Amino acid sequence: MMSFIHSFQSEWLKKKGTLAFWLVFVGGFFIPLIFLSRGIFYPQDFLAEAKSPQFWNVLLSRCWQFMAILLLPLGVALATSLITQLEFRNNTWKQLNTTPQSLSVIFWSKFAVIIVMLLQFFILFHIGIYLSALIPAIVHGSAEFYQRSVPFSSALKTASLYFLDCLPIVAIQYLVSLQFKNFLVPLSFGIGLLLASMIAAQWQYGYTIPYTYCLYNFFTARQGNLAPGGVNFHYWAAGYFIGGTLLSYFLYLNKKEKG
Amino acid sequence: MTTIQVRDVSHQFSNQEYVLDNINLNVREGSIYGFLGPNGAGKTTTLRLILGLLKKQKGEIEIFGKPFDNHRIEILSKIGSLIESPSIYGHLTAVNNLKVWQKIYQSPDNRIGEVLELVGLAHTKNKKASQFSLGMKQRLGIAIALLHSPSLLILDEPTNGLDPSGIVEIRELLKSLNQHHGITIIISSHLLGEIEKLVTDVGIINKGKMLFESSLADLMKRQHQASTIYFDTNDSATAIKLMHQHKIEAQIEKERIVVSQLSKQGIAQVNQTLVANSIEVYGIRAVENDLESIFMNLTNN
Repeated sequence: MMSFIHSFQSEWLKKKGTLAFWLVFVGGFFIPLIFLSRGIFYPQDFLAEAKSPQFWNVLLSRCWQFMAILLLPLGVALATSLITQLEFRNNTWKQLNTTPQSLSVIFWSKFAVIIVMLLQFFILFHIGIYLSALIPAIVHGSAEFYQRSVPFSSALKTASLYFLDCLPIVAIQYLVSLQFKNFLVPLSFGIGLLLASMIAAQWQYGYTIPYTYCLYNFFTARQGNLAPGGVNFHYWAAGYFIGGTLLSYFLYLNKKEKG
Repeated sequence: MTTIQVRDVSHQFSNQEYVLDNINLNVREGSIYGFLGPNGAGKTTTLRLILGLLKKQKGEIEIFGKPFDNHRIEILSKIGSLIESPSIYGHLTAVNNLKVWQKIYQSPDNRIGEVLELVGLAHTKNKKASQFSLGMKQRLGIAIALLHSPSLLILDEPTNGLDPSGIVEIRELLKSLNQHHGITIIISSHLLGEIEKLVTDVGIINKGKMLFESSLADLMKRQHQASTIYFDTNDSATAIKLMHQHKIEAQIEKERIVVSQLSKQGIAQVNQTLVANSIEVYGIRAVENDLESIFMNLTNN
């Protein structure tokens, strides 16, 4: 266990100042920043919306709309590939694989860093959403805003489902990024599958494509279950995540050349 | 005691021919082992097999007297390595690069400053490693290898990209680590001249086969034996005939007679024979082949 913690600390340090590191911050605050600007520069719209009892639900839904369809899956694919490819890009696999730690520790600690970064992204995104409403309320002196309570439990449930739905992307991008030295391979694989998922969302077997679940989750929240045949795509997401991760682990352990 | 023992190791990539063919290698504890061979001879493949970066296909590898496969983590905790180009995170500073590895090795914090000082990179401060010159990167690679005070250093062409003064500095550093800290070092190179002032033992590999393995003293002896003698006379044609009559292999080169591998007594006898046959001997000169030409002879044959 200690070996895993040390390895995690090492992996965490590596991401400092990388594109993936900035992607989490910029990506997390990007959409809230747009709504913050709207709230500040269009005070009448903001004050009118703040009077509605559904203020938070509407804001959360709007923020997720832009995030879920493209930015979240794309960001997850990109960040996972960037973190994993760090070793190829810097020619460091050979050094990492000759450190006195098991290959399992190396694999899982790197994977854990990606998962924690994803969590970090979700937390920042929600802090951003809260600030995107709080700051205009302070600036414009909206008294109604303070009467609107944040729907914590529904926000948490929505976020948890989105988190679960983007885990297959993490697992599959991790697998591909560990196997191919060329960064373009995981990148084009991720973008390609994401485009395929958008095209195939209304196909009757669209739920078999592992990058469709964030999309399904968003439309399901708006229009009822979009996934054909009433399929519970969250189970599919969990299945792809577990299957993808185990396959990735197996392939990593059995790599003939480790750097 | 032997620190590294490689027995009958062969390796091939895919279905291509063997890049290593039954090689045996023994690195004595406390030695500096020069692993020599031209580019593509199999040096890096051997070192990668020793470090477990390649899956072993045939043969045995023991390090610190234990089989590598069964004691991987224990063995790696005592090894510092630098294989081919240095492994450096370009977006981090030298200190943060070392911190990445320090977390894993759990070496003391002050060790980072020590190794940076040792390799002459203490002044780099906030400069990112991607802005380092190749020589600086190489030094940082060596600092990473030294971070956890290993008892065995495996260095694959560590002086690549270093200027002459950098090469001398690294050589002195390695000598000092070996002499004062008892660190066993295996260092590969394709240039014998570059490491002959450093190593105690030498292994020469070419086309996946070990051609020579012994102490540097043995190689020097070979060098001495392979010396060439030049005879400068007034009648080279008669002189060479006389030598051939005495079954001494000789040839004329630029009006001088060239004889290889002749003992001191042999030189005296040839001289006496020539003088006894009224040939004037103006000069006898023995030229020892340099190590480089012995290395070339071994690898070319």
